[in-house]
Amino acid sequence: MTAETIHDRLGTARDDLTTAQLLTVFAFVAASTFALLFVQEPLVHDSMHNFRHAVGVVCH
Amino acid sequence: MLIGYLERGVLAGSIAGIVYGIYMTVVANPLIGYMETVAEEATHGAHAHSASDHAHAAGEHAHAVSEATTAAVSIGSGVLWGILLGGIFALAFYFLEPALPGRKYVKSYVLAGASFLTISVAPWLVLPPATPAAEKAFDPTLRIGLYIGLMAVGAVVAAASIEGYKRVSIRSRPLGIVAATIPIGALVATAVLAAPTVVDSGAMSASLVTAFRGLTVLSQAALWAIVASCFSWLQTRANVRSATERRNDLLTSP
Repeated sequence: MTAETIHDRLGTARDDLTTAQLLTVFAFVAASTFALLFVQEPLVHDSMHNFRHAVGVVCH
Repeated sequence: MLIGYLERGVLAGSIAGIVYGIYMTVVANPLIGYMETVAEEATHGAHAHSASDHAHAAGEHAHAVSEATTAAVSIGSGVLWGILLGGIFALAFYFLEPALPGRKYVKSYVLAGASFLTISVAPWLVLPPATPAAEKAFDPTLRIGLYIGLMAVGAVVAAASIEGYKRVSIRSRPLGIVAATIPIGALVATAVLAAPTVVDSGAMSASLVTAFRGLTVLSQAALWAIVASCFSWLQTRANVRSATERRNDLLTSP
């Protein structure tokens, strides 16, 4: 018996969850990233101005 | 199992995010407000008697929303940032856990360090945290492209460092640590030697700029440290054990 590998973890995730559930998880992460860092809509962008400075992300 | 990890990651991220939100409220918001005032006064002083220049300067600093809204939303974003990083951390940890060196507590700190290097440190070597009202190098599209490219570089360096440690530490642990620092040292040296200074901080005094950057670096490092420690604590509470540990238990207690 060998130790657990990354491949096993991928397998477990596929067995435990449906594709739709996995897609939901990753879509949610992508949406939050986009909303926090890249939205250029002036009201949203400006009101998060201090946040982007404090975090040191590039698009501030 | 993945969902369990994600739950604990988001919880750890919420704790870190709340701490970060408090930091935003108490330190970052007032500091950025102050630095913006300093920068604005410098601009106004230089163009004091020219109406058109004045309007131009005011236009540059005009915001679509009030300062109170900016402060409140920035604090909220700080909390969300913690949650997002916690979630990403947990997902990455679930898949990468078998490949990370060390025991279970160490593993989460190793991944947090690698994430900090990837998401923040590597891009900052070329594009340091921008001070308020600083001149920005390049246009936004190029900057975002550069930032993402540098994150990829950071990820490769982190992976090389971990892989180096794993290979060499089989023979000797101190040598393994030396091997782990080589890729990171090479990255820093390359960036220091090769990268141009791309940000002009304008009228801001150098020590204020240094203090601001230092705070940014430390606060992000602290955020990752809180995520890692809360996550490993929650993992222990939930009694998550790797397949290796379960097997060892079976071997020792028949």
